[in-house]
Amino acid sequence: MTTAIIQSAAISKHFGSASILSQLDWQIMPGQVIGLLGRNGAGKSTLLECLLGLRETDSGTVRIYGEDVSQLSDATRARIGYVPQKSDLFEWMTPRQMLDYFRALYPRWNGAKVDGLLERWGFDKLMQNKPISKLSGGEQQRLSIIRALAHDPELLVLDEPVSALDPVGRRDFLRELIDSVIERGTTVVFSTHILSDLERVALDLAFLKDGRIALQGRLDELLEGARRVVGPASLLDGKPLAGELRRQRAQDGTVSIITHGGAGLALLGKEAGVRVEPLSLEDLFIEVTQ
Amino acid sequence: MTNHAAHLFSISTGSAEPIYRQLVDQVKRLVAAGQMAPGDGLPSVREVAQALALNPMTVSKAYSLLEMEGVLARRRGMGMEVAARAGGGQSATERAELLRPTLERAAMEARQLELDSDTVLSLFIQILKEQA
Repeated sequence: MTTAIIQSAAISKHFGSASILSQLDWQIMPGQVIGLLGRNGAGKSTLLECLLGLRETDSGTVRIYGEDVSQLSDATRARIGYVPQKSDLFEWMTPRQMLDYFRALYPRWNGAKVDGLLERWGFDKLMQNKPISKLSGGEQQRLSIIRALAHDPELLVLDEPVSALDPVGRRDFLRELIDSVIERGTTVVFSTHILSDLERVALDLAFLKDGRIALQGRLDELLEGARRVVGPASLLDGKPLAGELRRQRAQDGTVSIITHGGAGLALLGKEAGVRVEPLSLEDLFIEVTQ
Repeated sequence: MTNHAAHLFSISTGSAEPIYRQLVDQVKRLVAAGQMAPGDGLPSVREVAQALALNPMTVSKAYSLLEMEGVLARRRGMGMEVAARAGGGQSATERAELLRPTLERAAMEARQLELDSDTVLSLFIQILKEQA
């Protein structure tokens, strides 16, 4: 049996009286490329921070590579790369100084990769020697990504990694992710709102809602299984469907059901007045996180 | 025999159809239409993944399915090619099956618009003639 790289059990987190994470269980398996989805304020950043031990949980446990996250060894730390949502880079330093500083901390620092990325992502001499605070949001984000990739991490955690990048920058980032990260079998966990990017690279999806992982699965299977069934209440009332996620009744008596069961709906679709429609990822996001 | 480049493929995100499915259907259509002939080489998984910015697993899933269905064959050594029987051997019925997903969508919309079969069919015939 493969052991999970990240194993969280019953973690809870409150901010004041607001409950953000509630008895959340989650596992990340080696080699997974998993997208974390949720509405704004659902707690995606909090979850990622708790998983990495950057934020204390109120209760529950998180283990990374078998170690308690509050007492990670340096060797385990060196296996992890993290791109925070808000760039926390050393703003008074120049990119060069910052990267040199981190190079000293990581035994496995890949200098050639860093130089290659700096060049391809437009960090010329001038920019490399400018204080980080003078860089644009997109440039800071690119730098943060370079720093996180520099030591060839085995686990890469990205919190909205492309929020400040334009479409070209996003595509460059995706190509880098595909070429040098996913190809190496790196485990990747990332949160994003940009569903088109997610569709391109993620193999698994997890939806965070009400402080828990509300739905998780293979992206392909979720898309193939997701259906909206619409029909008269006389037919659908009192008839629970396999994998039902949501059920709504309109004023005119029409019932609309979202399921991720997929199979077994063919017969139902033949009934008069019943419509069975496939859903896009965006539809599914809206239906699951509402 | 041609070796096809990765630009051959295009995918769209935001569709209800998973990306690997889109790739599978595209190869089938190209083969059925004769744009890809038996023995033609397919771009490597890596090339397609890079060109379309896709997870390589998605591309290899599509290739494996096409191999299982006999559309593609694994080359000795590396890579995939269009299988020998894939092209000309396909009957009109088999090629017509490729239209099914598109027509099913059209049928669904026709039903929503409460159109009867005759109206829809005569419209389709008219469109076929316009395109010819």
